[in-house]
Amino acid sequence: MSLDASRGAPVAAALVLPPAAAAPAGGLRRGWRRMLRRPASVAGVVVVLVFIALAVGAPWIALTDPLRTDWSQIRKAPTLAHPFGTDDLGRDNFSRVVWGSRISMQAGVFSILLAMAIGVPVGLAAGYHRGALDQLVMRLTDAWLAFPFLILAIGLVTIMGPSLTNATLAIGLGAAPTYIRLTRGLTLSTKEEDYVQAARALGAGDLRLMRRHVLPNIFSALLVQATVSIPTAIIGEAILSFLGLGVQPPTPSWGTMLNAAQQFLESAPWMAYWPGLAIFSLALSFNLAGDGMRDLLDPKDY
Amino acid sequence: MIEFLVRRACISAITLGLITVIVFAGVRMIPGDPARVMAGTDADAAGLEEIRAKYGLDDPIPVQYLRWVALALRGDFGESIRTRHSVAWTVATKLPITIELACVAILVALALAIPAGVLAAVRRNTAWDVVASAVSLCGVSIPNFWLGIMLILLVSVRLGWLPASGFVPLLEDPVANVKRMIMPALVLGTALAAVLMRQTRNAMIEVLSADYIRTARSKGLAGFAVVVRHALRNGLIPVVTILGLQMGALMSGAVVTESIFVVPGFGRLIVEAVFTRDYPLVQGVVLITASSYVLINLLVDVSYSFLNPRIRIRGRP
Repeated sequence: MSLDASRGAPVAAALVLPPAAAAPAGGLRRGWRRMLRRPASVAGVVVVLVFIALAVGAPWIALTDPLRTDWSQIRKAPTLAHPFGTDDLGRDNFSRVVWGSRISMQAGVFSILLAMAIGVPVGLAAGYHRGALDQLVMRLTDAWLAFPFLILAIGLVTIMGPSLTNATLAIGLGAAPTYIRLTRGLTLSTKEEDYVQAARALGAGDLRLMRRHVLPNIFSALLVQATVSIPTAIIGEAILSFLGLGVQPPTPSWGTMLNAAQQFLESAPWMAYWPGLAIFSLALSFNLAGDGMRDLLDPKDY
Repeated sequence: MIEFLVRRACISAITLGLITVIVFAGVRMIPGDPARVMAGTDADAAGLEEIRAKYGLDDPIPVQYLRWVALALRGDFGESIRTRHSVAWTVATKLPITIELACVAILVALALAIPAGVLAAVRRNTAWDVVASAVSLCGVSIPNFWLGIMLILLVSVRLGWLPASGFVPLLEDPVANVKRMIMPALVLGTALAAVLMRQTRNAMIEVLSADYIRTARSKGLAGFAVVVRHALRNGLIPVVTILGLQMGALMSGAVVTESIFVVPGFGRLIVEAVFTRDYPLVQGVVLITASSYVLINLLVDVSYSFLNPRIRIRGRP
C-alpha cells in the first residue's frame, strides 16, 4: 500500500503544483552526493548489507551445522576449523553467529514492521481527524509509553510465554506508540500544506488525501525512524534472549549465546567476543545508515 | 501557571488510570482460572477461596477492576506466590538498591556527558566534535549487557581489580559497596551518557548562537565564563527533561545490569518473578514501575515550569 502510494504521489502533486514534483528527484540526487561525502554512513549501509547477505545465505556460508554438538570439541579456542572457537557443547561458534544473524534480522525487521502496521494508520487517523479520537489515542500512547520497554516486554512475555515470535510481538507492540506519535505529528503539519489543501479543493476524499498526499510525504521520515529503531529492536531481542525470555535453546541467537558465554568467561572468553561484536556492529551500522538516510531523504539541509 | 499545572496533573491522572486498566487486562489475559493465577499452582482450596473473596472474582469485571484499584491505592498489590511476602514489602526492600545504582549511573552519565557535550558544541565541526559524536553513537549502539560482560572479563577476570558480581549494603561496608557498584553503574550510565551528550551538544549550539551570548561576549567576558555562566545554565534545561524521559530506559537497563552483576535489586526481582511464574509480583512491579515513570515526569515538568520563567508567566510550555 505504501509503495503504491509513494509511486502515485509525484504524479498527483504534478497535476496540482508542477514545481513540487520536480523537487524530489533533484533532492534525491543532491542527497546521494551528500551521503557519499559521509563515508561512515556508506560503511554503515555496506555492513548492514553484509549482515543481510549472512542472514539470507547462512546455509551456504556456515557449512557446519550450528546445532551439532561434539563432545571432543568442548570450549576449544579459535582454530582454522572453528574460526570463532566452539561453545560449551562443542558447537561451532562461527556457524552459530552466522545463523544468529537470521534471528536478529527477523526480530528487528518484523517487530518494526508490526510497530509501523499499528502505528502509521492509527497516527494518520488521529492526526487527520483530531478531536475525541485524537485525544483518546494520545492518552493511550502516553499510558503505553509509561511502561519501560523491557518491563513491558517482560510483562507481555510473561502472559504469552517465551519464544522468538512472542519476543518479536512484544518488541513491536512496545515500539508502536513511537510510530503513532511520529505519524500523528507529521500528519498534523502535512495536512495544512498547500498541495493537500489544493487536492481537497479539487474534491479528493479523506481516504484518498491520506493515502495519496499525506502518507507519501511523511514516508521518508518514517523510513528514517525505522532505520534507527531496527537496531533498538535487535538489541531488544538479544536482551530478551539473553535473559531467557526470547529465543529458546538450542536455536542459535546472539543473546542466548552470550547467556551461555557468561558462565565461561575465564576458560572460554571467545564465546563472549563474537556474538556481542556482531550485535554491536550491526546496531552501529544501522545507526550510521540511519544518519545517512536522514541526509538522503530530508529536504531540509542539515 | 496554575492552569498549566492543573492540566498537566489531569493528564497524568488519566495516564495512571489507563495504566491500571492495561495491567489489569494483561493479568486477565493469562490463560487459566484468575484465582489460580494469583494464588499459585500449589495453592489449596482454602487459599483459592481466600483470593476469590479478596478480589471478588465472582463479581462483574468492572467491579473486580475497581476493587483491585482500591486495594492497589491502599498499597495492597497482593502477595508473592513464592515467598508469601506482600508485593509492596518485597519491592520496598529491593528498591533502595536499584535507586542507589540508578543515582550513581546518572552521576556517571552527567559527569561524562556534560563536559563532552559542551566541548563538542564549543569546538563545533572540529576533531573534538567528531570524536565526541562517534563515541556517543557507539554508546547508543553497544548492547549494555555485552559491555557488562566485557568489563567483567577485563576488569575482574584479567586484571582482578574489582569483584565481578554481588552486593554489599552501603551502611554495612561502604568501600565494598562502592567497589561492587562501579561497573554496574558504568554500564547502566553509558547509554544515558550517550543520549545526554547529544542533547547537551544540540542545546548548547542553540544557546551559544543566542543574542544574549553575543552581548556577553561583546561586553568583553572571557569565553569560558560566557560558556559556564550564561550558556550552560540555559542549555541544561532541556537536558533535565530528557533525563526524566530517560527514566524508562534506565529502569530497563537496571533489569539487564542487575542480572549480569547479580545485584539483588528491583530488576533482578522481576526477572526471577517471571521465571517462577510469580504473577502477582510481576503485576505489582510492572504497575509500580509505570506509575513511578508517570509521577517522575510530572515532577520534572512541574520543576521545569518553576525554573523556566517563560512557562511560569505564559502558562504554557
